[in-house]
Amino acid sequence: VAAKIIHIKPLISRIIAALTPVLATLAAFGIFALILMAMGANPIEAYGALVEGAMGSPNAIADTLVKATPLLLIGLGICIAFRGGVTNIGGEGQLIVGALAATLLGLVFPEAPGYVIIPLALLMGFLAGAVWGGIPGVLKAYFNVNEILSTIMMNQIAVQGMNYLLREPMIDPAQLESASRIPQTARLARAFDLPRLVPTRLHLGALLAVIAAVLVFIFLWRTTIGYRIRAVGLNADAARYAGINVKRYMVLSLLLSGAFGGLAGAVQVYGVTHRMFTDGSAAGFTGGAGFNGIVAALFGQLHPIGTIPAAILFGALLVGANKLQRVVQVPSALVTALNGLVVVFVVSSEIWRRRQAKQRQRAEAEDESTMSKEIIGTASPGGKET
Amino acid sequence: MNDFDQLLKTLSSIVLQSSPLIIAVCGETITERSGLINLSLDGTMLLAAMTGFAVGLKTNSLILGFLAAALVGMLFALVVAFGSIRLKQSQVAIGFVLTLLGDDLSAFLGQNFSRIPGPFVMKVGIPILKDIPILGSLFFDQDPVVYFAFLLVGLTWWFLFRTQPGLKLRGIGERPEAAFARGVKVNRMRYIYAVVGGGLVGISGAAYSLNVKLGWSEGHTRGLGWIALAIVIFGGWSPIRGAIGALLFGATKALATILQRTFPQVSVVAFNAIPWIMMIAVLLVSTSELTERFINLMPVSWRHPLRRFLRVTAPMALGTPFRED
Repeated sequence: VAAKIIHIKPLISRIIAALTPVLATLAAFGIFALILMAMGANPIEAYGALVEGAMGSPNAIADTLVKATPLLLIGLGICIAFRGGVTNIGGEGQLIVGALAATLLGLVFPEAPGYVIIPLALLMGFLAGAVWGGIPGVLKAYFNVNEILSTIMMNQIAVQGMNYLLREPMIDPAQLESASRIPQTARLARAFDLPRLVPTRLHLGALLAVIAAVLVFIFLWRTTIGYRIRAVGLNADAARYAGINVKRYMVLSLLLSGAFGGLAGAVQVYGVTHRMFTDGSAAGFTGGAGFNGIVAALFGQLHPIGTIPAAILFGALLVGANKLQRVVQVPSALVTALNGLVVVFVVSSEIWRRRQAKQRQRAEAEDESTMSKEIIGTASPGGKET
Repeated sequence: MNDFDQLLKTLSSIVLQSSPLIIAVCGETITERSGLINLSLDGTMLLAAMTGFAVGLKTNSLILGFLAAALVGMLFALVVAFGSIRLKQSQVAIGFVLTLLGDDLSAFLGQNFSRIPGPFVMKVGIPILKDIPILGSLFFDQDPVVYFAFLLVGLTWWFLFRTQPGLKLRGIGERPEAAFARGVKVNRMRYIYAVVGGGLVGISGAAYSLNVKLGWSEGHTRGLGWIALAIVIFGGWSPIRGAIGALLFGATKALATILQRTFPQVSVVAFNAIPWIMMIAVLLVSTSELTERFINLMPVSWRHPLRRFLRVTAPMALGTPFRED
């Protein structure tokens, strides 16, 4: 019986740990209700509108899932990067280059059949994102350049590249003739639209993203490469002594992380926008998905499966907020502030959770020492380390 | 003569344009020298720029505007310090989330202050000094914010490298254990320097909205916080080098504008991308091992000055929390 209790206790604390983000979200909503009341709006009516807007009808649910898709894909990349001990805040730029590459493919081969172009376009997006994430990776691993700053700089470079391409080489020929010259590409051929899952706006990309989440989970926790990525993230020195080429795995983490950002861009173009456009800023095209995806991943506790509900929650907030704004007439920026509030509460709850989990971690320290033994076990004898 | 005047005008506008960055770089240098990274600069500067402008407009007092902005910066820095020191959280994650929050909040709270004229700092030439040829018009015929920026550089340098508390400050960023063993309250000092640095970052935000880039609109200073963070690294965590970095950055932007006018056939975006590409290149040169190898190819007597010129090293305990037990 005693043994059973010992097993149950960590289980309960694990459940509490998993629930803290939810409780934190509720707390954030509570504070937001007070703000709404202060502004003279009825919070119950407002939240009714939010829920109604986010999941009041099949169409609303579909929209929520569509919004959640890029957040999930970006978030998966973030899980890989953070688990690998590197910080990637270049999701915006990676999404943009992925979208550009995928759009380019569709524009160059307008006559090709969809079943050829769609997979190729997703691959193109994946690869372009990998390049955009891989550059900061190489800079970090081999040239000691801070990856937080270089990924941010790469965002800006991607935005400028997008502005150039959409204003000149890739601009819609129709816009070229009209006086307005809106910087956007032509609409991609309808044959390239990602298939709809049900008769709503919900497209195949949402399903792909969920499959990707499962694959990333398997990759990180059930394959040798994923294991090494996590080992580098947990303790780079220990990994190095165990014969893991730390630099190579750092590059790989950032590269894969960027690849998922690029995939998010390709999915966004082929599933939702069907063309690329720009208002000069990154958020004009991405809607801030590159940053919100990071938040979703943190919310999902940097676990690929946990990121799924987190992404859906943020998708729902984004969709429901539109309705909320229309019904209770609050300024749109207040709604972004709601997102910010949720983030702050979730992060602070995460802080609390970690303190709670500290004792648990001490107990698990033994497991970790087993893990480093395993790392030593997997080291190849000829593994050269720089 | 006319060309020369034009050049002087451009140079003095570079000095003016760089002044907020110089202030932000000094602030962040102080914070990072103590071992703490405040990554929230971009959001802090946005919210501080908005607050500074709004308060300045409502109270019709520039001083109150700058003070309010400094308070915003201090508050954000306090959150980063508290989260990192007390709650043992990732400084990077907290800083990043605060960046987003500052951006959102400034957009929301600043709606009513968007694109309206407001107060601004007036130019005050310093008598006698401003009549020095060239230097006078560059540095002494400016406004108080510019003077503050340059005074701050000198003060920060003096404090860091010539005073006892400055030595302690560097100590807790390099070897907190050693400092702690000598009786320095490492974490209390980190709180203090985070707040001081944050206050300066806040002032730099207001220096944009009240002096350099007048007024407020959504995303008014977006991106400049990241530039400041990069310049701190380029500056090797030294205020003087950091100020030079900020001036060089301003010069590059001015040069890009001139080049753009000279070569109108080249797309604008090429010039817009230059500062960012340059920042990566600069980080590459100043932190890469490759530079070390290059220096070692040089004659022995050149190596030391070259290393001082090209290479930077971070405070050893930068970004690592310290446990006082």
